[in-house]
Order: sequence, then structure tokens, then C-alpha cells
Amino acid sequence: MTRVLRSNLWAIGLAVLLLVLLGLTKLIQPSFGFNGLESLARASLPFAFATAAMAVVVIVGGIDLSVGSMMAVCSVTAAVLMTMMGWVPAVAITLLVGLAMGAINGSLIVVTRVPDIVVTLAMLFVWEGVALLILGSPGGTADRALTGMVRGWTGPVPSALLLMLICVFAVWWPLSRSKLGLSIYATGSDEEAAFRSGVAVGRTRVAAYAICGLYCAMGGLSLVMLTGIGEPVPGPYLMASVAAVVLGGVVLGGGRGGMLGPIIGVFVLRIIRTMLTLMGVDPNVTTIVEGSIMVAVVMLGGFIMLRGRKT
Amino acid sequence: MKRLMTSTALAAMVMAMAPAAMADTFSIGVSNTVQGNGWREQMICAMRTQARDSGMVDRLVVAHRNTDAAGQLEDLRNLIEAGVDAIVLNPSSPDALNSAIEDALEAGIVVVAVDQGVSADGVYILSNNQEEYAYLGARWLFEHIGGEGTVVYMRGAAGTSADNDRHNGFTRALEAFPGVSVAHEVHTGWQQDRGKQQMLDFLATGIPFDGVWTSGIDNVIVDAFVESGAPLVPIVGADNAGFVSQLLSVEGLEGAAVTNPGSVGGAGITLALQVLQGDAPEDMTVLVDPVLWENVTEEGRAMIEAAQNPNLDPDWPVSVTVPGWTTYTTEEIIACEGPA
Repeated sequence: MTRVLRSNLWAIGLAVLLLVLLGLTKLIQPSFGFNGLESLARASLPFAFATAAMAVVVIVGGIDLSVGSMMAVCSVTAAVLMTMMGWVPAVAITLLVGLAMGAINGSLIVVTRVPDIVVTLAMLFVWEGVALLILGSPGGTADRALTGMVRGWTGPVPSALLLMLICVFAVWWPLSRSKLGLSIYATGSDEEAAFRSGVAVGRTRVAAYAICGLYCAMGGLSLVMLTGIGEPVPGPYLMASVAAVVLGGVVLGGGRGGMLGPIIGVFVLRIIRTMLTLMGVDPNVTTIVEGSIMVAVVMLGGFIMLRGRKT
Repeated sequence: MKRLMTSTALAAMVMAMAPAAMADTFSIGVSNTVQGNGWREQMICAMRTQARDSGMVDRLVVAHRNTDAAGQLEDLRNLIEAGVDAIVLNPSSPDALNSAIEDALEAGIVVVAVDQGVSADGVYILSNNQEEYAYLGARWLFEHIGGEGTVVYMRGAAGTSADNDRHNGFTRALEAFPGVSVAHEVHTGWQQDRGKQQMLDFLATGIPFDGVWTSGIDNVIVDAFVESGAPLVPIVGADNAGFVSQLLSVEGLEGAAVTNPGSVGGAGITLALQVLQGDAPEDMTVLVDPVLWENVTEEGRAMIEAAQNPNLDPDWPVSVTVPGWTTYTTEEIIACEGPA
């Protein structure tokens, strides 16, 4: 029990912070209630998938700057496919497209030995162009069955939250318990040591990037589900995903961190945005506040961890 | 008797003042998804100033940032949570926001879309007539180049309804002039830096053309010509302060500015307040018609000179008010203060 607690200490701390922030929101806006929670779950959906995607590649010791662009490709792919076929094959094809894009990113990094940040920066533009080629301007359609999935409540849980948790952890939970999951952590922690212990480092990295692509496909699909159309121009998901990953306790550089922390981090960042809107803070100041809060939380967290280790 | 009269007069005065004293105040939410663009900044200032000037807005919640349709959905839901009576938005997409707009209407919130329309039913739309905007400017340009030649066509943000409407107007003008064709078509995304770079890139190709029609990214296009030393061709833009002053000051520049007041945002606040007070317009869509100012005739130059205001931000449209819809003064909108 204590081991579980200790290994998830960061995530638990974040969850407490989230609860405090939710309480504060209720103070600022007494009418904030179930509707607000449901809105929050919906707003967090694309950010959560982008963050899951980023978390996997950061844990393997890389970074993927093309997350937002891959989401855009998947969103337009899905929206266009759904004008021609049912949503089940459209979703399946989109997930495969995401997986393939991620695998291409990973293979390029492994084969060319060019740093991750350079390859994925280049791919950011490539995938952005691909998205615009598929759909020159926002359009396409979304099946009603899909848009309905993110609306309302499923029992006591907002449907959007349930869908997100199922999709993220259906991939992450078995992965983190498999040999591949162990290899991902080993590679991110120390590539050289992993290689000498017999880990197929190259293949592991390609797999991690492919999973990142898969999560991006889910993110792109979530955009279509929310808006009912596909948008070729990437939204603000790249920087937000890096922020949530860092806030979630994943070490930039790799090897340490989980998936729960970053996902809670997404909600923390979204609720801060909601609070700032409800408080009527000058919109030109909100981004400064958001950034400052993030730095403060990460610094405070690091400080507490350091103190905890000494005693 | 005198006392009776005094008290009657007092009663009458109280009765007369009662509606004013009892006039409700409202809270209004604003949602916008392009930040750092002069037109949009003027729109936000017009909203703030008009809300203050009306005296009927006790709280103005502004969600104003750079984001996509999913982000605007989030902002709209936050505004619904904030319990506003009306939402005035500049929609990033005609179709993508319907789910949140329906939630707002269901909650009894008055929704007014300014600048661009949305497809959801029950939304009031107050917009500059974008089709006419493009047609007026394009027709002037094609006439001015003698009905013959090629033009560079610099559009706005792909997929927005304003860009689609303008495209229709531009196409209508183009069809009327069979001798004119488009040499190069780009989307500036209504971003100054991007539009300028696109023009510099095209000038570098050396392909000749006879005129430029821009969707409001105009002063930087003139800059691009001047900086690269290319010979000026007629340029049509919007009534942004920087471009309007260039029309008077840049040697050899022939062009026209078509009014597209960002202050339509303030008109949106007025419309929302009218609806909240039970005085809704008959038509759900209200269009504001544009005017064209050119610098090649005496009358045109006089109109441009009259509209100049040195205190304006060069990226702001010079038409800072919408007659009949806004009540603030130019000084007030420059101060950009919201309800206290």
C-alpha cells in the first residue's frame, strides 16, 4: 500500500491540487456544478490525448513536436472518411493512420540518427501540409453516434471523461506492464545501459513514437467529436501537452513518470483557464498567469520532493 | 392645494423616473479566437466601451485568446458557467460551435454572432456585409486597371464564413470582368507577418501582375512593395488606419480602402441588450453595408482625410463607430475601458 502511495505521490499531490482548485472555482462561481464538470471533461478531451501522446515519447527519452499536426491530420482524415463511410471503419482507419505517422516519425529518428527535436520539428510542417492537402478548409462531417459519445453523463461520470480514461488506459495499462513498456522506461532512463542489457533500443523507440501517433489519432478524433467537423490547421495542443507532461511529473529527458500525473495535469491546467475566465481576468494577462502558475507548481513540487528525500 | 400639487408633481416625477431606476442591468460574455490582430482588438474595445456606455451592463466577461474551434467551445461553456445573460461571439467556424450555442440557448442566454455567421438556429447575426465588401473593392480594382490584366488575390483565413462570403463577392466581380484573371491566390490567415512574407515571396518570383486585392492585410503589403523596391500596382485593402494613411502619403500608390468597422462588436452588444429588453429585431440577421474610399479622385482623397485620426493604432480600422448602433466617442474607444 505504502509503495503504491509513494510511487504515485506526485499524481496524488496533483489530484489534491485539482480538488482545491475545483473548490475555489465553486467559491468564485457558486453556480459551478455538474454542468461545469461536464464542460471541463469535454474541454480536456483533446488536451488529454495530446498529453498522453507526448508522455510516451518523453518517457522513452524523446520529444514529439508534431503532436498537434498529427492530430490535425487525423481530424481531417476522420471527418472526410465519415462523409463516405460509417463511423466504425472511419475510426479504425484513422487510428491506423495515426499509428503509421508515429511509426514514420520514430523510424526517421532511429534510422537517420538526427535528434528527435529536429526530426519532429520538420515533421510538424510535413504533417501540417498533409492535413491541408486532405482538407483545404474546415469541413467534413462527424457521425451523430460519435458526437453523442462525448455529451452528457454515463452514470455518475461525464461521458467525455469516461471515454478518455478508457481510451488512454486501454493502451497504457497493458503497455506499462509488458516487456515493451519496461523497454521504454529502460531506454529513456539510460539508452546505453538498456542496449547493453539486450533491449532493442531502436525498435523500442519506433514503438513509442507509434503509440504517440495512436494517441494523436484519438486526439484528432476527439476534435471531430467535439466540433462535428475536421480542422486542418493545428490547435494549441503542442505546448499545452508539454506543459501537462511536465506538470504531471514526467521528467523531460526520459525514464521517469507515469500516465496518471500528466492526465490530472491536463485537468489542472483546464480548470485554471476556467477560473480565470470566471474571474474576468484581463485576457491579455491570462496566459501570463497560466505560465506562472505552472512554473510555481513544478518548482514547489521539486522542492517538496527534495525535502522529502532528505528526511 | 399647493401641497397637493407639489406631491402630485413629485409623484409624477417619481413615476417618470421609475423605469430608468428600475432598468435591469445585465451580464454579458464575449468570445473571440484571434488575439493581436488590430481589427479584433478594436472589436473587443468597441464591446467594452459600448457595454460601459450603455449603462446597462454590470459585468462583462471576456474570453479573448488565440485558439481553435474546440478552444472556443471551451470558452463558450465557461461563459455559460459564468451565468451571463447574453453571449456576443466572433465565431471561428460556422458549424463547429453549434453544440455549445445550443446549450447556451437552452439556458436562456441570448446569443449574438458578430462579424461572421453561424448555422445554429436562434442566433442573432450582426455582421458587416462581407460579400458586398469584397465586391465593392474588387470591382473598383478591376475597373481601375482598365478591365484587363492579372491580380494577386490575398484571402483571409481558410474556411471562415467571412472569407467564404468575401470569396463569393470577389468571384461575382471577377465574372463581370472577363479580361481580368487571378495571377496568384493565397490565404493570409489575416496575419500581418504571414501576408507580408507571402507578398515578398511572390514579388521575388518576378511574375508580373497589375493589381492586388487583400482581405484586410494591407499596410504590410504596401511595405513589402516599398521595401523590395518593386514598382507599385493598385492595391485594395480595408480601412485600417495604417493603410489609409499610406493612401495619402506613399508616393505613387493608387488604391482604395473598403470600410469594415471592427466596432461592429459594439453594435453586437447593443443588439444583445435590445433583445434582452424584449426589443428584438424582426430579422435575425442584420447587415452593415461597407463604403469605398479611393485616393485617385479629389472627392475620394477628401473622404480619406476626413476619416484620419492620428491617435489611432495603425492596425485599427479608422471607422471606429457604427452609426445607429454605437453611442461612444472616438476618445472613449481608444481608452478601451469596460464597465466599472
